[in-house]
Amino acid sequence: MLFFLILIVTGLVLNHGHGLGLDGRFVHAEWLARWYGIRSEPPRHTFRSEHHVLIAANGRWLLDGRISGEKLPQPVGLVELVDIFVVASDAALYVYRENGELIEKLGPGALPGSPVRAIGSSARGIVIRTASAMFTSADALFWRPASQRSVRWSMPAELSISERRAYEEALAPGISAQQLLLDLHSGRFAGRYGPLVVDLLAVLLAVLSLTGAWLFLVPRMHRGRH
Amino acid sequence: MNWRPRRSLALLTLALGAVAAGLVRGEVYQEPDAFVAEVFGSRPAPKVLWLTKDIQTQAAAILGHPPAQLRQRYWSDSHRNVWILEEIGKEELITAGFVVVDGRIDHVRVLVYRESRGQEVRYPSFLKQFKEAKLAQGDRLDREIDGITGATLSVGAMERMARLALYFDKKSRQ
Repeated sequence: MLFFLILIVTGLVLNHGHGLGLDGRFVHAEWLARWYGIRSEPPRHTFRSEHHVLIAANGRWLLDGRISGEKLPQPVGLVELVDIFVVASDAALYVYRENGELIEKLGPGALPGSPVRAIGSSARGIVIRTASAMFTSADALFWRPASQRSVRWSMPAELSISERRAYEEALAPGISAQQLLLDLHSGRFAGRYGPLVVDLLAVLLAVLSLTGAWLFLVPRMHRGRH
Repeated sequence: MNWRPRRSLALLTLALGAVAAGLVRGEVYQEPDAFVAEVFGSRPAPKVLWLTKDIQTQAAAILGHPPAQLRQRYWSDSHRNVWILEEIGKEELITAGFVVVDGRIDHVRVLVYRESRGQEVRYPSFLKQFKEAKLAQGDRLDREIDGITGATLSVGAMERMARLALYFDKKSRQ
């Protein structure tokens, strides 16, 4: 009974998956990641500025205590200016307001060069170091070449073991809700033989339906003849 | 190992690396930079449209979700504006470039496609439907866009981006 209930509910929800926004939802649990064989990467470093803290692992960022994103890259640094702060990954810069609202994500087309190796700040604003040169900008919009002098580079700080444990759970890798429901519906969640069990139970359900209909209809047909 | 197998191995490694990089980055049909340069003949300095509360509300109504960022950059000369937008089809972002002239779409190009299916939205036969499209009442397009079997969500994303490009364009000219 429970099996059929799972099939019905997962089937119904999957049928309306896009409307329910399942594509963008993820289920985070260490046991689930282990079940799927996903290796959880413990957070190792933190980037800190005067008012902001960033810890990243498994494609997720814990930025000022708030989880953001699912498929985010590993950060290379964080710098804080007067009213904005900027997180750099090797391929993009994420410019935030003081309150954590994303102002703009600057991809390779909007950057003066990539990959970004390091980010820092100077009296002129943000400074990035790419593989070939250094650039500075006051607003992350217009860039010009920069020199190495008086740049405070953002450096990662090592997390203590207790901090790692605390953040590991918060940054557990996620499984797409749609994938999870699909695997429950098809039986793949139970492993290699799961779909086979679902197939057998589906055949059993068909047999039960047919024999039930036969048991219901045949006596009535006989009664009708007499 | 002599030089021939070693060279073959190196080439194989390079090819696999390129395939892996492509899978991560998606199918890049044209770099956004190159698209802007093609439209203007050079790359003008970007301009910025700040998404005020009103613009955010209307952008959210068009997209069906809040816009991802608070400022949108665009490129402009005296009469053409280029908007490069990103929107999720099913699970991954589609990057498209829109050239808007006098409140109408001049042309559209899919620049980066990251979904596993639905690439047909990049074909000119589909994209030509957007030519001369403008905003009608309720910030909807003034025409119906025919879908593509198997690419429904990507078609929906392209339509939303077209509406957003025209809406942003209208706001940038006010």
